[in-house]
Amino acid sequence: MILQEIVHLYNRVGFGISPSEAKLLQKQSRTEIVTQLFDASRNAEPLSIELTELITTLKGLKMKDRKKIRALFKESAKKIHEMNIAWLYKLASTEQLLVEKMTLFWANHFVCNDKNIVHFQDYQNTLRKHALGNFKEFVIAISKEASMMKYLNTRQNKKQKPNENFARELMELFTLGRDQYSEKDIKEAARAFTGWNHDIMGNFRLRRRQHDYGEKTFLGKTGNFDGDAIIDIILAEKQCAQFICEKIYRYFVNDQIDTLHVSEMTELFYKDYDIGKLMRFVLTADWFYDEKNIGTKIKSPVEFLIGIHRIVPMQFEKERELVYLQKLLGQHLLFPPNVAGWKGGRTWINPNTMMLRLRLPSVLLAKGEIALDEKGEFEDDFQRFNDKRNRQRRLKVTPDWEAFKLNHKNITNKQLQETLLVSPLNRGTKQYLDKLADQDLPQYCIQLMSLPEYQLC
Amino acid sequence: MKRRDFLKQASLASTAMFLPKFVSGFNLIDDAIATGKKLVIIQLSGGNDGLNTVVPFRNDIYYKKRPSLAQQKSNLIGITDEIGFHESLIAHSNLYHNGELCVINNVGYPNPNRSHFRATDIWHTASDANEYLQSGWIGRYLDMTKSKSLDAIEVDDSLSLVMKGETMDGIATKNPQLFYRTTHDPYFKNVVSHHDDAHLSEHNLGYLYKTMVTATSSAKYIYETSKTYTTNTEYPKNEFSKQLKQVAQFINSGLQTKVYYTSLGGFDTHANQINKQKRLLKIYDEAMAAFIKDLKQQDTFKDTLILTFSEFGRRVQQNAANGTDHGTANQVFVIGKQLKKQGFYNPMANLSNLDNNGDLKYDIDFREIYTSVLNNWLEVDASKVINKSFAGVNIV
Repeated sequence: MILQEIVHLYNRVGFGISPSEAKLLQKQSRTEIVTQLFDASRNAEPLSIELTELITTLKGLKMKDRKKIRALFKESAKKIHEMNIAWLYKLASTEQLLVEKMTLFWANHFVCNDKNIVHFQDYQNTLRKHALGNFKEFVIAISKEASMMKYLNTRQNKKQKPNENFARELMELFTLGRDQYSEKDIKEAARAFTGWNHDIMGNFRLRRRQHDYGEKTFLGKTGNFDGDAIIDIILAEKQCAQFICEKIYRYFVNDQIDTLHVSEMTELFYKDYDIGKLMRFVLTADWFYDEKNIGTKIKSPVEFLIGIHRIVPMQFEKERELVYLQKLLGQHLLFPPNVAGWKGGRTWINPNTMMLRLRLPSVLLAKGEIALDEKGEFEDDFQRFNDKRNRQRRLKVTPDWEAFKLNHKNITNKQLQETLLVSPLNRGTKQYLDKLADQDLPQYCIQLMSLPEYQLC
Repeated sequence: MKRRDFLKQASLASTAMFLPKFVSGFNLIDDAIATGKKLVIIQLSGGNDGLNTVVPFRNDIYYKKRPSLAQQKSNLIGITDEIGFHESLIAHSNLYHNGELCVINNVGYPNPNRSHFRATDIWHTASDANEYLQSGWIGRYLDMTKSKSLDAIEVDDSLSLVMKGETMDGIATKNPQLFYRTTHDPYFKNVVSHHDDAHLSEHNLGYLYKTMVTATSSAKYIYETSKTYTTNTEYPKNEFSKQLKQVAQFINSGLQTKVYYTSLGGFDTHANQINKQKRLLKIYDEAMAAFIKDLKQQDTFKDTLILTFSEFGRRVQQNAANGTDHGTANQVFVIGKQLKKQGFYNPMANLSNLDNNGDLKYDIDFREIYTSVLNNWLEVDASKVINKSFAGVNIV
């Protein structure tokens, strides 16, 4: 496989690749490399943080101790931040690239947020477990996650008083896309999900007395459907396969849909909803490596940050600063803006985030200063709000240049450039880079990362 | 590698810019300096307790619900026979008497949300409570008027949702000089572009270059224009005053920017509210006094409308910690020289008709206010920005 294709593949299923790794892979064929990616991603390692104490306390409580539960998780709010950081570290170090990238994708598809870290961690790992599995099992499993049932009010959905929130989002965001069903379909589907609930540990429970066992008419079919049956009926619509394939195409291939390629994907996916098979098809397809698909996507903030880290490992002294960077760049993992998730693409970029991205490599890797103060939290008192504003400051980050040098022995500037930049180069930029050709590698690396071209993958 | 060279290079890296032709032809700044109307939005962030800000000092329910928190009449600045302003609001009481303040009471929206984040999003996006929008009303104003980023400035380091449109975002800057320095480097002057890179213009790379140019040219314009004015008004020494001083400098120097956004935080007074709120309102009021004085000296006040809101008010019943919890409706202050309605726009909230949570039921939808500001002050079709039709309130 040629270098450009290797880099492209790793940009999309991971966070880029180092020149030396890419060099090694050049001897292998496309199928071999893709197979290795899949093999590495088998049995996804869960994301887990230390929760023993919390789980013990939780087990001692009853569902009706609502106030106590709420207090417990208010107390443990910092655990969510711990999980946020743990996720970033996982992305920074994992060798299970494909499944982790898919998890990022699904987390922005089955969007959810929860204060209960015990439930939220389960939700997270359900994403991992099914990320390359069967889509139908995935939809059912994620719908039964306690975090999801809270986030979309499935718990409040009772026979006596149906709540349509989940049924609506299930169709609009998770499976079919907008306007593919009627309001009546939503009402009928909502009835089928009545009584869905969970116990204190987050296990799924059907509350029979709240479940509507009656007849429903949904998408033209009539029967005594329960929730699983509704999901079956939805997936029988080809539109569902197409909706998912379009989203995968936009995320992994190109912001602009190519209808021919998407319909190839849809035909395949509709057969058995096997996500792994679909991804293998995409990643081995010739069109995936078309010129027009290479270096055209704007990196998400997480792709940008992790991409830098995977080339020059960084140690953050204050994890708070890492949280702050995510917020400034516009993607704070685990805190999606709303149920539709981050829009991505060009919406990542405005004049402020653009300048920030261009500055960031020198701030992170060369002790550059940055004049960005965190917006105050609502809960902060005025003192804190008012302190230390309007200053340039340095982030407490230590780049590991030794590791960089070790990983880049015998790598030339040109080789580094070919792995870090894949988009077409603006010609002025190209001439500029030619002038820098004899700089030493770390300097050159920072220069490359500070270019608009580096924002693309 | 020498450390100094390294740093130098690194700083060059950040601003190494090469403009393809298609972007250098890109129209950066309006040729004519706009002198039209300005809108300044201030958020009292954290949820200001409106009931202790504009106080119904003859209302028994008020005193009953707030045994240790209610403001005594003697502490207030008398405004009407029944209503007094918080003692910190000296400048606001003067504005009231000058006919330069309109207090809109009990502003909210149906099914209010009591989370700071969500409530702020609702106010920023002008959405319904159950509607999640990813663009703010000022951002959409930029979209609709085909304005430029610098037509809306947030005096802060990063951009709030209110300033983000579907296709155009405002600009955040707290310090134009610093912003200018970050985007401009001597090196930039050597920018050469011999080649026509038109093929990039539709590509995402073209978009990135354009955004970069917007940032750079905006920074230059903002810095160079605003530095032509130096105020001789004394501002209090705190961050919020500094922000308003910056806004005044922008306005008085004739910057084309139409909308400014700034916020003062710390209003989440769950405990020991009295002193905290007193101090915060003092900061707010004194900064506004200086700001308005500054504008009046340059005769720009007449073209400036100032809108102050908070994402929610607080519970009528005080809590056990001498504070108040998250509530719902709240007052909005509208300040300007050209108000159609001066003083109180509408009666105070009815404290005997609360919702199940013990919170106020709103009388005026906040989007009514946005609608009037857009239609009558910024002179655009509000329904296209709000995506919903409201009659508006007769204030400007």
